[in-house]
Amino acid sequence: MIRIFPSLRFTPLLSAAKPFCSSSPTREPQQYASCVEAKTAPVPNSLSITPKTPLFLRTPSHATSLSEVWKWHDWAKDLASSVEESSKNSEDSLDPVILHRELKWLIEDSIIDDPLVILHRSEIADGGEKNVKLRASLAELYDLWRQRIEKRRPFQYVVGCEHWRDLVLCVEEGVLIPRPETELIVEMVEELVTSDEQYKKGCWADLGTGSGAIAIGIAKVLGSHGRVIATDLSPVAIAVAGHNVHRYGLQGMVELREGSWFEPLKDLEGQLVGLVSNPPYIPSDDIPGLQAEVGRHEPKLALDGGFDGTDSLLHICHGASRMLKCGGFFVFETNGEKQSKMIVDYMMTNDLKDYFSDLKIVSDFAGINRFVTGFRL
Amino acid sequence: MSMELCVLGPLTGRSFAIAGKPNLLLLRPTTLPLLRLSLPLSLPQFSSSSSSSRLTSPSKFTSLSLSRCNLKLRIQIHIIILFSVVFAAQESNLSVSNESETSEWVMQDFYTLRKDVEIASARVEEIRDSAGLTQLEQEIANLESKATDTSFWDDRVKAQETLSSLNDLKDRMRLLSEFKSMVEDAETIVKLTEEMDSTDVSLLEEAMGIIKELNKSLDRFELTQLLSGPYDKEGAVVYITAGAGGTDAQDWADMLLRMYMRWGEKQRYKIKVVEMSNGEEAGIKSATLEIEGRYAYGYISGEKGTHRIVRQSPFNSKGLRQTSFSGVEVMPLLPEEAVGIEIPEEDLDISFTRAGGKGGQNVNKVETAVRITHIPTGVAVRCTEERSQLANKTRALIRLKAKLLVIAEEQRATEIKEIRGDAVKAEWGQQIRNYVFHPYKLVKDVRTGHETSDITSVMDGDLDPFIKAYLKHKYTLAMASAATN
Repeated sequence: MIRIFPSLRFTPLLSAAKPFCSSSPTREPQQYASCVEAKTAPVPNSLSITPKTPLFLRTPSHATSLSEVWKWHDWAKDLASSVEESSKNSEDSLDPVILHRELKWLIEDSIIDDPLVILHRSEIADGGEKNVKLRASLAELYDLWRQRIEKRRPFQYVVGCEHWRDLVLCVEEGVLIPRPETELIVEMVEELVTSDEQYKKGCWADLGTGSGAIAIGIAKVLGSHGRVIATDLSPVAIAVAGHNVHRYGLQGMVELREGSWFEPLKDLEGQLVGLVSNPPYIPSDDIPGLQAEVGRHEPKLALDGGFDGTDSLLHICHGASRMLKCGGFFVFETNGEKQSKMIVDYMMTNDLKDYFSDLKIVSDFAGINRFVTGFRL
Repeated sequence: MSMELCVLGPLTGRSFAIAGKPNLLLLRPTTLPLLRLSLPLSLPQFSSSSSSSRLTSPSKFTSLSLSRCNLKLRIQIHIIILFSVVFAAQESNLSVSNESETSEWVMQDFYTLRKDVEIASARVEEIRDSAGLTQLEQEIANLESKATDTSFWDDRVKAQETLSSLNDLKDRMRLLSEFKSMVEDAETIVKLTEEMDSTDVSLLEEAMGIIKELNKSLDRFELTQLLSGPYDKEGAVVYITAGAGGTDAQDWADMLLRMYMRWGEKQRYKIKVVEMSNGEEAGIKSATLEIEGRYAYGYISGEKGTHRIVRQSPFNSKGLRQTSFSGVEVMPLLPEEAVGIEIPEEDLDISFTRAGGKGGQNVNKVETAVRITHIPTGVAVRCTEERSQLANKTRALIRLKAKLLVIAEEQRATEIKEIRGDAVKAEWGQQIRNYVFHPYKLVKDVRTGHETSDITSVMDGDLDPFIKAYLKHKYTLAMASAATN
């Protein structure tokens, strides 16, 4: 209960439905810029943004001799193995075992032939002379792997995609890489809609969709009847999510709207049957200490949840009371433990206390109390 | 008939050729093996019909064929073959006539060959007899009529099954007739050689090749008779783990991985290392190998168990003698839809590896490993090779089911529920083979007693003798236990 007081300070601000990012311009100069742009320019910027083509979708136009590729592979393997000594005992360190796995996947994504010709040379007697078709030039592959290890660029940005549930989603800088934990949101929705067909027919919303992962996952679960509206403030996210929706042929089911949280959903007040979100929830003070891949490369707009990380979550809770129809379901991802409890406490008291029922905290596979779920009364 | 007689012309000139008319050599066909290969089915006729009659002249022989065969084409074929044989024989006569020693060797080779052919022929007879040809034909006809039924594709899974068993039967049938035609080809060459009173080295070599090939196929066929388990036909997943003992054991696990990869390559299976965890210094902590191909599981399932190596440690400056262990697990590689069992959710303990810490947005590591334990039996599988958690979970579940199915089958349990968990542990850990590199060289299978000192070949994947010995051993045990029951 004590935790509620600091967040109360935000309540007037939140109920005014102001987007969070405009409240903290100094912390987010870059993101703020894009946010302002989005606000001032009535034409959505996302139209002018062309998402990058991930490695695995590029044309294999780079014929390279196998022996050269092997040389690169040896180099990359050595580089991966060498990280151990340099960064031992630090929690934020690269793990050679995982790097080797990533290297294997990088090869899978960049070669058109069987990746085995690179991984197991024994299969080819005198293959060194043979040419293989690569989807990136060898020079680029050297560069990409160096970025991965020296710059700590996330593997998913390096290859331009993330395998998430049964999807392969394009991602790039400016879009949060979907996390395995978040797969559970789709699973919860799936469970709900299989037990109650009602939820299949209504309109769902995914707030701050990023790559579009949750929206696409839910659309697939809903089947042919469903409709999902995905919003995001970032034009890059909207462009990337649009590309992903297109790739799965779900244009008819997933609609993308650019804007802050509920702003693009004004026409749907009280009509949503489901509301999901993985909003930024990391407390601002934790941002500098994040794992390098996250802190240095992923968009702060998608990570920073303000002073105690709950700014966006609380805003969404209020919005949920307005937007969901009776019996509507919601699930939000949180920073776990304290935060999820805080959100539940908040929703059971104050002016929200009469709006929701069956509030529950659901833990992720690591046992962390990750999600808050419930129904609109 | 006049046309054939025309062709016969040069044949009658055989005596001239023997007498040494070298100008005829210019006509010698060089495509002899090709001729035989393209016409194997036309040959049985004279090999079986003329076995008792020693023919003295080729023209007589031809007339015999003529009398027995009405088809112009067949006659022509016979003539062409005789024609080629004569010219080939001519050449060998010319080239070896002054080297009686060589020709003696050739004759010896011929006698060996003749004996080999006789043995192979008897073997083919036996196999064809025991295969029940008429029954096989009947079954094929049955399935074929089923497949043409209009409602056949109503049940897709069943239709798929029917088609695959039809293919199996047809393959079997094809193999059986292939054996016959191969042995007949060899018999023909033997006979022709006898009738020619001369030897053609290249022809004999060819016959030897046929017999060698045939014997290999027969071995394989007999082996598949031993592979009648429900999953024997499937591909295999081989999971290798280094035992305790650090780098030495990890290096040993790596050597085993290489051995199985080489074995798979030799069998022309499709091999894929789907997961591999490297050791700190050398070798591997574990690896998962997928082998796709018919009967891969049947052959390699007997490799399951603990493999022990004794050698001078390459990682120890003193070069002390070192004993290390590695475990091998083998499961069938079953297609998702084929694993029909359902396991209650509460029987499964599913754990996900995560980088720890706060998780969620705080962390981005591509660690999506999933480990599933079947609580009642304690059987566990881990899957790390997929790129998403869900995919790893799906794959791990398929593997777990495959593993449980195999254990159930071994324990003759009709249901997963009946599996005795206590027996499971002991079984997977049994030591099955010793590989001694030092102080002497010996690979010995603990179960069958089969051994060899050629450890290099074994490590190069020459596992067939061990596999065959084990399958026979298993078969005998099964027969014995069936008899006592």
